[in-house]
Amino acid sequence: MEEPDWHAPATVEEAIALKARLGDGATVVAGGTFTGILVANGLIRPQAFIHLARVPGLDRIEIGDELRVGAMVTHRRVERSNEIRESPWACIAECFAQVASPRIRNQATVGGVLCDADYASDPPTLLVALGARVRLKSPSGEREVLVADFIKDHYETALQMDELLVELVVPKPPRLVTYLKFRSRSSEDRPCVGVAVAADLDGDGRCRTLRVVVGAVSGRPQEFPDACALAVGQRMSVDVATEIGRRYAERSSTLSDVRGSAAYRSRLIAVLVRRSLEPLAA
Amino acid sequence: MTLDPRITGAIEYGQDQHIDGMLHARILRSPHAHAIVLSVNTAGVPSDVVTLTRDDVVDLEPLYGPMVKDQPVVAGDRVLHVGDAVAAVAARTPREAEEALELIEVEYEELPGVFDPVEATSDSAPLLHEGLEIPAEYRPDGRNVCHRFRLKSGLGNDGFAGAEVVIEESFAIAGAAHNPMEPHATLAYWEEGRLHLITGTQTPFNTRRDMAALFRIPEEMIRVVVAPMGGSFGAKTFMRLEPITAALARKAQRPVRAVLTRAEEFITVNRHPAQFRIRLGANRDGTFVAKSVDAWWDTGAYADCGPSVCTKGGYAAIGPYRIPNVTVDSRCVYTNLPPAGAFRGYAATQGVWASERMTDLMADRLGIDPLELRLKNLLQDGDRFATGEVMHDVRFAECLRNAADAVEWGEGRKNKGLAVMLKGMQTPSRTGVALEIDAGGHVVLRSATTDMGQRPEIAQRNLAAHALGLSPDLIVVGPNDTDLVPFDTRTTSSRSTFMMSNAIRAAAHDLRQKIAERFEVAPEDLVLSDEGVGVAGSPDLSRPLAELAGVRGDGTFVTPGGLDPDTGQGIASSHWHQAAASAEVNVDAETGVTTITRLHTAVYAGNVVDRAGAELQNEGSTIFGIGSALYEGIVFEAGQVTNGNLSDYEIPSTLDVPDFTYELLEGGEHSHGLGEMAVPVVPAAIGNAVAAAGHPVRNLPMSAESVLG
Repeated sequence: MEEPDWHAPATVEEAIALKARLGDGATVVAGGTFTGILVANGLIRPQAFIHLARVPGLDRIEIGDELRVGAMVTHRRVERSNEIRESPWACIAECFAQVASPRIRNQATVGGVLCDADYASDPPTLLVALGARVRLKSPSGEREVLVADFIKDHYETALQMDELLVELVVPKPPRLVTYLKFRSRSSEDRPCVGVAVAADLDGDGRCRTLRVVVGAVSGRPQEFPDACALAVGQRMSVDVATEIGRRYAERSSTLSDVRGSAAYRSRLIAVLVRRSLEPLAA
Repeated sequence: MTLDPRITGAIEYGQDQHIDGMLHARILRSPHAHAIVLSVNTAGVPSDVVTLTRDDVVDLEPLYGPMVKDQPVVAGDRVLHVGDAVAAVAARTPREAEEALELIEVEYEELPGVFDPVEATSDSAPLLHEGLEIPAEYRPDGRNVCHRFRLKSGLGNDGFAGAEVVIEESFAIAGAAHNPMEPHATLAYWEEGRLHLITGTQTPFNTRRDMAALFRIPEEMIRVVVAPMGGSFGAKTFMRLEPITAALARKAQRPVRAVLTRAEEFITVNRHPAQFRIRLGANRDGTFVAKSVDAWWDTGAYADCGPSVCTKGGYAAIGPYRIPNVTVDSRCVYTNLPPAGAFRGYAATQGVWASERMTDLMADRLGIDPLELRLKNLLQDGDRFATGEVMHDVRFAECLRNAADAVEWGEGRKNKGLAVMLKGMQTPSRTGVALEIDAGGHVVLRSATTDMGQRPEIAQRNLAAHALGLSPDLIVVGPNDTDLVPFDTRTTSSRSTFMMSNAIRAAAHDLRQKIAERFEVAPEDLVLSDEGVGVAGSPDLSRPLAELAGVRGDGTFVTPGGLDPDTGQGIASSHWHQAAASAEVNVDAETGVTTITRLHTAVYAGNVVDRAGAELQNEGSTIFGIGSALYEGIVFEAGQVTNGNLSDYEIPSTLDVPDFTYELLEGGEHSHGLGEMAVPVVPAAIGNAVAAAGHPVRNLPMSAESVLG
């Protein structure tokens, strides 16, 4: 068998050209935490790897009106970035800090976790709730896609064959943002359920806007705006929180895996959505 | 200061062993749980890659196994579990070997499988082994049953008639993975008809014996060199990679090394899944009257040490209690799961779980404090256990009280649980050791105790130094090589510190005797010190140790015993491992997540000979127990492991380990092994605490979902 080719392009343009040319025989490697498992288990056998470590600019973190994080920025850098931690985007740092263990976070990248589209991940859930976008570049130009639209299903994204995810763009979050990671097993486990809440309250504590996203329970993060609408225009109460939780539990599709059955996850969603919303009542 | 080679990376584990020109082995494994092997075609494999199929082992004994000969080197007519070896290759690089596997064509005809040990005993279950020769000491009574350990004491089941309250409950314990950091690794080569194995094994002498039988050569034609292991926890007990690696090396006429992948570890050997049905009868005052234990141990496709597991787990499930009427019926059953074998906490983990949850259920039923109920029934010095043996040096109550105090049991029982256990040691057992003075003035300790990370050399050097009156610096542990070390049963069942302490004492006595003969004085007049050897009252006779090079003392320690397989009467253990644990938990009633707020173990240590080692062993055992309690269970679907990696199969991380405490209770005449004392009691104590928090769990692991019920 032929050894796969190892490409280490020096510019974004070169990387994109390579990807367009090599097509589906090539696999892009960022941190390698996911591709490493796939290759080791024989799940993929790429003819070529395109490693992005030498591409300049993909490791940038920029804060302006929006937060911009390069595709090659590691989880650990997001977690430890003082710039992010002291900004309105601090919730992003907190969320990335909850992924796996430091050893994984030192390696796993922002672009990687989005392109893998593994359902059992933390950041996508929060990013959907914040209306985050990904910037995709191809030989013919570039486009931005909402993370909510980018992740389509298990390991399936809107990324075209000739496109490269170069950047994550996160609008300024509303005042109250939480990400609740529920682990059913060890503290290093992937989420059994993730619940992200992004809410804006007026001066009287009434909900101006509310987004609740449930992740890690099916192929992609799920959101039910009409259930959230129950809270808009009023103060959050335990009753409303419970009712939104109930509706999320009823409507979310859930799967079974080693972290819990579909039925258990549905039960948890009601509890965890309620628990995530209760602080808004305070 | 010399740095630990584990820290510098200088240590050469089994997987680091290397001989120039060696080939790398890979094993072709069955994707089916049960199938007929119609054909194995290696024609497509490049000629420079060595292949091994059933046609290459026809001159060997067809089957091997430490207790029942039931396992082929590579599959013959049938494969019996997912992962069963069908063929193997040896190539210049691991990658070439891996690629060659894909060029071997195997045709299978799938057969129905059975994956539950109770179902496997029913008449409709497929029969896994036909025409096996089961050794006389085992009782293959029942379909797919390779051994059945039965015990009866007092009136047996008739004793329940005399009990005022009788309860009956069922319990299940999942299979678990050992997960040593270093996987199984073996290097084999042949030299002038003699087989050399450099292998990570806890059982060099069993391996030599069983390999000799398999290859039909005298034991003297086999040399086993034990490589230090990066963990084992029972996984590297008895033959694993040795047969297939040696067969490949024989065909290749070159050294061959095999190292398993993590995924292969999950289909090579695991902890026995087990099911229990227990009846317990007591009087209203709490006095135990009768107990019956029905157990089914799923030993997978091959028995391995399953017959011993079902025996030891059978009597462990009686518990350390004075019960006048006991019956045990413990079955070791073949299924189409991967083989199960020795696992730290050897059978006691499963037995103690069932037994100690049962004790608490009885306490609930009687309205008696679980501590009081246990203390009322615990065995005491001079009592007879259900096996008929008289108990000595009994510390169960001491351990239990210590554990209860640690969680302030008297201040309230909410969310708290206790557990106490008795665990047997490998009996009968034999250990030889030699102490030999070398030309450099050191005493070389020749011992077969294997190093799987517990660093036995520290305890053994201390023991030898103490016995000889020398400083431990003068004691050097020699290489662990069957050509050089005296026979030792094996490094299992936390027996080595106990057995070696006695054998070393005997060897030291013998060495003094031999030196005294040289000096032509009485041994009691001999003065041994770091400065050399002298004779009391004659300072001018002093000589440095180096001048006695070659003088050697030998010591052997043997424990008799064994149980009758039909009545369970006899000597189960030459001495008992005694331990207790206490736990306090918080259970999130809405999610089922258990948080351990307090955890304590109290283990009877006897005389501690290596303080740091003893503490580390007990800490490791406790953490191991937490994994078994809360997270660890192999998930099988139709015989296929569905969580065979360290992401889907979770072991505790540092953040999951609470600030636990423990007590090593000292006393008595002996040194006890501490390698696994906390393992069985920790899950049971946590389980009883979870039950006290309102969640009456029956099964292990206590996953968050299962706690909700």
